[in-house]
This record gives sequence, structure tokens and C-alpha cells, in this order.
Amino acid sequence: MSTLCLKNGRVFDPINKIFNKKKDIYIEDGKITEVSNGKISETIDCNNKIVMPGAIDLHTHIGGGKVNIARLMLQEFHNNSDNDYDLTADFVPSTLKTGLQYIKMGYTSCFEPAVLPINARQSHAEMADTPFIDKGGYALLGNDDFLLDLISRGAHQSEINDYVAFILKATQCIGIKVVNPGGINAFKFNQRALNVDENSVRYKITPRKIVRVLARAVYELGVPHPLHVHCSNLGVPGNFKSTIETIKAAEGLPVHITHIQFHSYGNNGDRNFSSASAEITEYINKIPNLTCDVGQVLFGQTATMSGDSMKQHANHSHAHPDKWLCMDIECEAGCGVVPFKYTDQSFVNALQWAIGLETFLLTEDPDKIFLTTDHPNGAPFTSYPHLIKLLMDKTFRDNLLDQMSVDISKHTILKDIKREYTLSEIATMTRSAPAKILGLKNKGSLSKDADADITVYDSSIKDIEEMFANPTHVIKDGIVVVKDGEIKKYTWGKTQVVKPEYDTAIEKKLKKYFDKYHTIALPNYKISNDEMSEVIGSDINEVECIRKRIS
Amino acid sequence: MPKISGSLSHKNVVCPFCSLHCDDLEINVYDNKLSVKNNIPKSCASKFEQLNLPIYREMPATIKGKPCETKKAYQYSRQLIKESKETIFLNSSVDVNITREALSAASKVNGIIDHVNSSIFLKNISIYQRRGYMATSLTEIKNKSDTIIVFSNNLFKTYPRLMEKFLATNDSFSINPKNKKIYVIGKQISNKKDCGSKDKRITYIDFNNKNISELLTSFANKKNTTSISNKIFNKLLTSIENSKYLSILWATSEFYSYKECDEIIYNISAYVVSLNKTMRAACLSLAGNDGDVSFSQTLGWMSGFPSRIKFTGNFFEYDKDSHNASQLINLGNSDLVIYLNSLSEKKLILNKKNKNIVIGRPCTKYNIEPDIFIPCGIPGVDFKGHIFRTDNVVSLPLSSLRLSHNKSLQQVLREIIK
Repeated sequence: MSTLCLKNGRVFDPINKIFNKKKDIYIEDGKITEVSNGKISETIDCNNKIVMPGAIDLHTHIGGGKVNIARLMLQEFHNNSDNDYDLTADFVPSTLKTGLQYIKMGYTSCFEPAVLPINARQSHAEMADTPFIDKGGYALLGNDDFLLDLISRGAHQSEINDYVAFILKATQCIGIKVVNPGGINAFKFNQRALNVDENSVRYKITPRKIVRVLARAVYELGVPHPLHVHCSNLGVPGNFKSTIETIKAAEGLPVHITHIQFHSYGNNGDRNFSSASAEITEYINKIPNLTCDVGQVLFGQTATMSGDSMKQHANHSHAHPDKWLCMDIECEAGCGVVPFKYTDQSFVNALQWAIGLETFLLTEDPDKIFLTTDHPNGAPFTSYPHLIKLLMDKTFRDNLLDQMSVDISKHTILKDIKREYTLSEIATMTRSAPAKILGLKNKGSLSKDADADITVYDSSIKDIEEMFANPTHVIKDGIVVVKDGEIKKYTWGKTQVVKPEYDTAIEKKLKKYFDKYHTIALPNYKISNDEMSEVIGSDINEVECIRKRIS
Repeated sequence: MPKISGSLSHKNVVCPFCSLHCDDLEINVYDNKLSVKNNIPKSCASKFEQLNLPIYREMPATIKGKPCETKKAYQYSRQLIKESKETIFLNSSVDVNITREALSAASKVNGIIDHVNSSIFLKNISIYQRRGYMATSLTEIKNKSDTIIVFSNNLFKTYPRLMEKFLATNDSFSINPKNKKIYVIGKQISNKKDCGSKDKRITYIDFNNKNISELLTSFANKKNTTSISNKIFNKLLTSIENSKYLSILWATSEFYSYKECDEIIYNISAYVVSLNKTMRAACLSLAGNDGDVSFSQTLGWMSGFPSRIKFTGNFFEYDKDSHNASQLINLGNSDLVIYLNSLSEKKLILNKKNKNIVIGRPCTKYNIEPDIFIPCGIPGVDFKGHIFRTDNVVSLPLSSLRLSHNKSLQQVLREIIK
């Protein structure tokens, strides 16, 4: 048995409460081992190096219909990079470039947060064509007519749980996401807004009800990742109130509020747009089962893409360049693609930048907040090293704030916040915390038998942004795939899935529904394990679910 | 070839041959022969049943029209590829996995990859590259659309089950399907016959679709300036105005020969966008039947571009003009074209100025004998696969129904690109 040894590195392994400790790491057969059992075949000298588990991005739009629409819509932004094999734009990269850029930054697992069940085959095919990384998806529910009909008819929670479990199995996903609960469906019936306690015209149910039943289903099925919630009123000034109401809707059950920056807006001041990060982070800090990712905005051209067709349609007049697409999809949900350019000349954009940073810095526990830009909605994922520097270096962010084209200093408390994230906190929010919340027991840690997904950084590089952008080594499943920025070997990760048990009687009801109303047959809706490996091209790894009951 | 004794029945089979990809077929396989058990149009069933002819099993590879061992065809193909300065991979009917393999092959030999229908589907993509677009999909139309306008001259010949299975349906959960209003607008060449429907919900309106823009302006101004009678026009306008969810469908391929083609699809999408200020309406541009969507989607995620990619050393580039395969072939600017045709019965138009390799389903038709023909299996019949439906968002699994006498197109590509 051959062994790879990472020698003398400064190890950050939050799950094992190891922070900045010199330690040797041994790798055999793609796993981490405590002591070498065989001959050490290769040693990597990690003196002056930082060793962390591979990073995990739990919310990044990397595969599926809307991502591909954006790629094709914004072709004029491709071909603009230098010295790159693949010239697609960073904010709408090809699958190849997505894998290459993630692995070169030391990210080894990434999760697509908006898999439409009907579009799951495409999402998985795209992710299967994304090299190196492990991946997974969250299936979208909460705007599908089948579920809304169940809820409106007062179906028992156990029936809803069965349906949710069926969807997870059929779509080969690892979690459930709800986007603008009920709102996308309401838009199809010409409603242009839907507040948390407002009934939809068609089903006469509220977003609060939808969040509640889905959060409960996910919890009772024992799916490790809590319900992933894109709240109502995306981007609307004053929306922090509906965000808080959405959090309350879960009634203490675990929920993950995604791209919370876009849902933390007040409507104070003469521009009717203000930061409500203090109000939002107060909730994050005090509610135990609540986690969030930020969806940080950074300046530059990007493409916004969302299942939230209601709000994307409402915002299409902001498109830059001036083109966009919205789509109603298969009685399940919708999508909207609107290109956008964030600029520090815009008061709103500049304040969005500050609100995201405030949210990071005011959230006390790095286990509860995750580093995302909602790629590419706030910025492309390639800007993560820059974002890490903003969090770790107060002088740097204060200087950027001073250099803004518009003066937002009176509208943000950013300068009053002294906090600088530590390397330990960065390791927590990008490694151990996302692994825990996704139920990935073998990832995000350097424990014995964990998957050997490891990133090595050069600590002699003084600029933290440069250090995080250029790991010296990235190891995936025990194989050195990146060395000094160069790809050494192509590998293909697995798809992480959950398959909670359920009463298959729900499939009889679904069959009737499909036969009568759908345009494909139920068996063709489901993606089997064989199809994943033989046709789509990705093997799966099943993450354990442990059923729970609400007392 | 081993024989399977007894009969196998496959349910919910996805038809790979038209981009509706209806998946309600029941197909029995006995002695490796296919028979369609459900009542579907003859034109659909025959696409499976003709594959039972001995010639489909026995068709050999050929070199310059003469039968040869497959190994020799591979060998000669490798030689032609080696001698070629720039190989063009021209997809004429493919699924996702064939496209993946074709892209990989093109990258290995610094070739160009394109699709025979790309001039048409690039027009569809260009709609949302230029302005706003409100799109919909078939299940939405079936269940929510109370008014449906189909611009069609003979669309139902191309999509035989469009009306029966998706538009004039009897089950819809959010509208009363009896009240659906369906308008088929165009030269009424064979729509009525091809629809096979005497449904009273359908109104056929004779119209020159070159004048669609004028019709849309008339709708917007509520004043009829078209050749349609005022009575019909007013009925149509009232339906639009009272609609809760209007869908407008067309196939760009029908307009392609019109000089007004771009203007028409631009104006339809603009009209629908404007309606959405106050009501709900959406478009569905029907794709071609040659795996167009599977090709453009797969290339889209793998390269960022929908077609017309050229590989050079460590780079690839997209140029919709310079890498237009049909144009390069017509101008004599290519030395080798590899046609990939796993599904279509349409005749391939080869050019004798360059060498031609056809990897195709048995009995692929062509105007002149290719230098090499290598038969391949059909995804959805002989091999598993994955194909996109016409509405771009639904993709379906293709099954392997019987033992194949031929290798898959991907396997053949791997043999000749080594």
C-alpha cells in the first residue's frame, strides 16, 4: 500500500478542533489515515504551508437549464480571457472551466442549489461534465402544482413527507430548496407579489404554510441539510421583515436561509433603501437551528439567474446588457435570467456590497454562516479569495469603502465593525460547517477515514487573497490534482445524494397525476442509479438520513 | 449475435424520432423485432417497425459503396482523418452522449463541430440574445393555457402528436379544457388532415405567415389590416384579451425560407413580452427533430457556445460565420466531413469536393455515395441515451429495446479517433 505524506504543515481542521497545529497527514487509498501502514511513496514538504480540508461551496449555480441559458445568452462575454484553454466568461463558465477554476482554488465539493425535478437529468449531466469536484443538488419544491394541491387540500404531513422523499430519490438530490414559496406558481396566475401571509389566488395558501410543511418534511425524513429557503420578496426594499417572518414560519425547525444579503434590505432613508443586516443577524445569532449563506455582491458584470421568475420578471428592466429571459416550467417552477452589472457608482449596489459584509461580520458563529456569492448572482465564485480578504483585513475593506464612487458611509456600520475573520473561522465557514450541514461525514475534515480532499496553501504569501487564490497543492480523493497551479491529473467526483425511505403508495397517486396532467410518464421522471452512472456519467454516494419525529 | 427467446414488453418507451419525444409507447420485442402496441399515428409507429427489415440488421460498412469489413472501414477512416487538414464533424441527428463524444473527437483532431440545423436553431437562440423573452413549456400549455395560437403551415406533419397529446387535451387542472381556444394560423395545406382532429376547440385560419408582423400590429392596435376576415380577427382578439394564459407556438424552420424570418420571431417575442405587462402569455418555439436541442444544449454547457466550434491546438473558438460547416463544404473549403446521423431518415446532402465519412443508422440516405459508411445503432432502440424535448427544459431517458447488431455512434467514433 502506498502512502502520501503531507509533512510539517500548519493544520486547520475545525471538526477535530485543530487550529494552526503542526501535524503530518497521511493518505492511503484516497482516505486519510492516522499513521502510515505502508511505505511512504511521496512526501510533500508542508513547512511554511497551511493545510486544510478541501473547501465546500454549498450554494453555487453550476448546472441546469438556467445556467445554460445564461451561457448561450451572454456569448459576447466569452473569448475575453487570456491564456486560457476555455474562454468562457467567469460568471457563466463552461462545465470544464467550472471544475478547473474550483479545483485550482482548493474547492473539492460544490452544490447546485436549484435543480428543477423535471430538469434534474440536465443538471446532473452538466455536473457530471464538471471535472474534479464532488457535487450534488437541491431539488426545487414549493411551487409545484402537485404539492400546492396537496397542501391546499389539507393532506396529512406524512403524505407530504412521502412526496418529498420521492422527489429526492427520483431526482438524485441531496436536499430540498424552496424559492419564493408559492410565488413562482402565483406568477403563472398573474400575481406579481406574494407576501409571507398572503394567500395565493389559485391555491389559497400562504408562503408561511409552505415553508412550515416543507421544513417539517425535511426534518422528519432525517435529511441532513435543512430546508434551503430563498425567501419571498427577493431584492425588494424592506424585505427584511418578510425574511424574519419566513424564519419564524419554520417554528424552530432547522432552516437554511440562502443568499440572505438579497433579503436583508430596509426601506429607510431618502432613497428608500437601507441596510437591515443588524436586524437579520440578531435572528441568526439567537436562533439555534438557523443557518444562512450570504450571496455577497462584488462589483463587475455578472448574470443573475434564479428560479424566482416572479421577481426576475419584475427586475428585468435592470438588465445589463438589455436582454433577459423568463420561463414557466412544467407546472413545477420557473426561471429567470437577467444579466447585471454591479457598480460602485450605484448607491444600491454599493450598499448591497456593504450589507453582505455586515452580515458576515455581525454573525458571531462561523458555523452558522457560509461564504457564497450565490454564484453568479452576486459575483462569480472566482472572487472568493477577494471576499476572504475583505473579511480578514479591516484596513483593506475600509480603504475600499473610502474609494467608493458613491459615499455610503452614513448608511453602513461597516467601519465601526472591528472584527477580522481568522484563518480558523475561514476554515470553519468553508470546510467543516458546510460538511456538517450537508451531512457529509467524510468531508470537510482531516479525521481518520475521511475522504482525502485537501488543500495546501503557501503561508509565506503575505497577501491573503493571493494565497487563497493559488494553493500549492490540491488533493482530491488522495490524488494530487493541482500542483503549483498546474493540473496534474483529471479526476471526476461523485454525486452526493440522499434517499430517505417513504411509503411508495404516494407513487400511485403520482402516477394518476402524471397520466392525467403531465406530459411525460412517471417512470421517465425518475433517474435511476444505473442511469446516473451509465448514461449521465456520474457515480453516486448516498448520504445517510435518520428519521425524526416532531414531539 | 445471440438471440433472445420469448417476448419482451417495454412500457413508457420514449420515441427518439421527433422532438416531442412522446414517452407513452408500448413496444413488444420478439426475436429482436419491434412492434408498437398502442394506437399512435402510423407515421410514428412505422419509424420503429421499419427497423425490423433484414436490411437494418445486415447492412455492412462500405468503402466507396462497396461492402467491406467494419475493421477496414475503421482503418480507412483513421487514414482519412490523419491526412485531413481540418476535419468537420457535422451532426445531423444526435443525443446528448453522442454530442459529448463528437466534441471530444473534434478536440482530438483539431476539427470543427457543427449541426446541420444550426442556421435555424441559432435564430431561436438569438431571440434571447437580443431582447427579452417569455417562454413556456408543454405541460404548462396543457394545464394552464386557455388560448393557444399555433403559427403553422404544416407543423403537424413534423410533430404528428402535438395537437392530440399537448394542445387539444381533455385534462387540465387549472382551466376547463372544454373552453380551450386553439387557433392554427397559416397556409392550411395539411394541418387539418395531419392533426387528425375534428375538435371544435380548434379554428384553422388561412393566412400567409410572412405577414405575422402585420397581424401582431393589428392585435396591438386592435384594428385589422390583414387578410383575415374581421369576424375571425375579432374572435381571435377577444380570445387573446380574455385569456388568462396565452401561448404562442411556432417552428422557426417553417419561417426559415422567408426573408422576414428574423423579424417575425422578434416581433412575436416582443408582442408576448408586451402582453406580460398586464396579463400572462408565453412563447414556445418548437425545435427541429434532429437532436437540435440536445446538440446545442450539450455544446452550450461544454463550451459556452451552441455550435460552430473549431479546435486549434490548446484552444477552441466559436465563429458562427467562419465555422459554418455547410458554408465551408459548399465553398470547397473542407477536405473531410464526418456526418453523424444516428436517428434521422432525411437524406444527407454530401459534397463530392471533399471526402465524406458517414457514421449513420442503417439505411441512412445520401445524395452521393460516401467514401466510407459505417452503420451504427440507434439511441432509444439499440442503445441507452439521453435526449432533450422540443421545449428545451425536459430531457428524457432513451432505452435500449433490443440487442444491437451495430456499435453505438460513440463507440464508432472512439474506434476511428485513436
